[in-house]
Amino acid sequence: MTHVTGTGPRRRASDRSPSITTLIDTATVQEITEQAWLALVGEDEVLVPLPAPVPADALSAWVEILGPWNGSVVLTCGRDTAHELTRALLGEHAPEVLEDEDVDDALGELANVVGGNVKAVLPGPSVLGLPEVGVTPPPGHEADTCRVDVLWRGSPLTVRVQSVPAERENEVPL
Amino acid sequence: MTVRALVIDDSRAMRRIVTGILGDLGYETRQAGHGQEALDVLHEGWAPDLCTIDWNMPVMDGLQFVHAVRANPDWRTVSLVMVTSESEHGQIVRALAAGAHEYVIKPFTADALRDKLALLGLLPEEVAL
Repeated sequence: MTHVTGTGPRRRASDRSPSITTLIDTATVQEITEQAWLALVGEDEVLVPLPAPVPADALSAWVEILGPWNGSVVLTCGRDTAHELTRALLGEHAPEVLEDEDVDDALGELANVVGGNVKAVLPGPSVLGLPEVGVTPPPGHEADTCRVDVLWRGSPLTVRVQSVPAERENEVPL
Repeated sequence: MTVRALVIDDSRAMRRIVTGILGDLGYETRQAGHGQEALDVLHEGWAPDLCTIDWNMPVMDGLQFVHAVRANPDWRTVSLVMVTSESEHGQIVRALAAGAHEYVIKPFTADALRDKLALLGLLPEEVAL
């Protein structure tokens, strides 16, 4: 994992990274997510672009991107959806009983694949962090987020490409 | 003739998927969760014909693993295929320059991986001919 702590030089306020909304649009994020779904989850798996509230027990997986643009790509869905996603992703290779570790791993890999492909369309060179999974994703810049809301098998799921909040930007190593 | 593949990825899910695809193609497979674990397998004497390698992994990443393999003449015949979500052109060039033979970008389909292995003449049915 690439940490944003350390003793190296820091960005100055004047070095702010560009706004994510000038670098990528929701259509591109949706297309990247759909490609990941088709290849990893299943050829017939459709993501319907409809916003719906994610359940309170939501689980998130995210990867950080550090470079000319700094932020994170966060995938969020309900726990039941995460289990179903894991089964779909593993297909015939899924164990009979899924452990939490399996679910975290599968959701993390989906975030990693979406994040890697988001990174490819952003200005580089950039560094992609290792995927992390939890109930509390890193804070994002609410006004500078590219968000896609979809339904997968009727369940809500969101993908956010979010800039580092302005107050944390000077913590990002150069 | 047995054709062996070592699947290196920190994601258990991805290891299962790639191992499943290679198993269906007729490979005998082993898995490693990062580059150092994969080097340990090679040092054990288990000699693969192919390694599929993720880029971003803890302990030792995929590029470091490629450098390590290419630095050892005993392993010069091992084919190295990056299987990663790192899709920037510069990254692909770095991996190929370090000694990787092919580059498969995640997400990929089973057919896409099979096609890359066919390009390398590494499908078990071809190796057996």
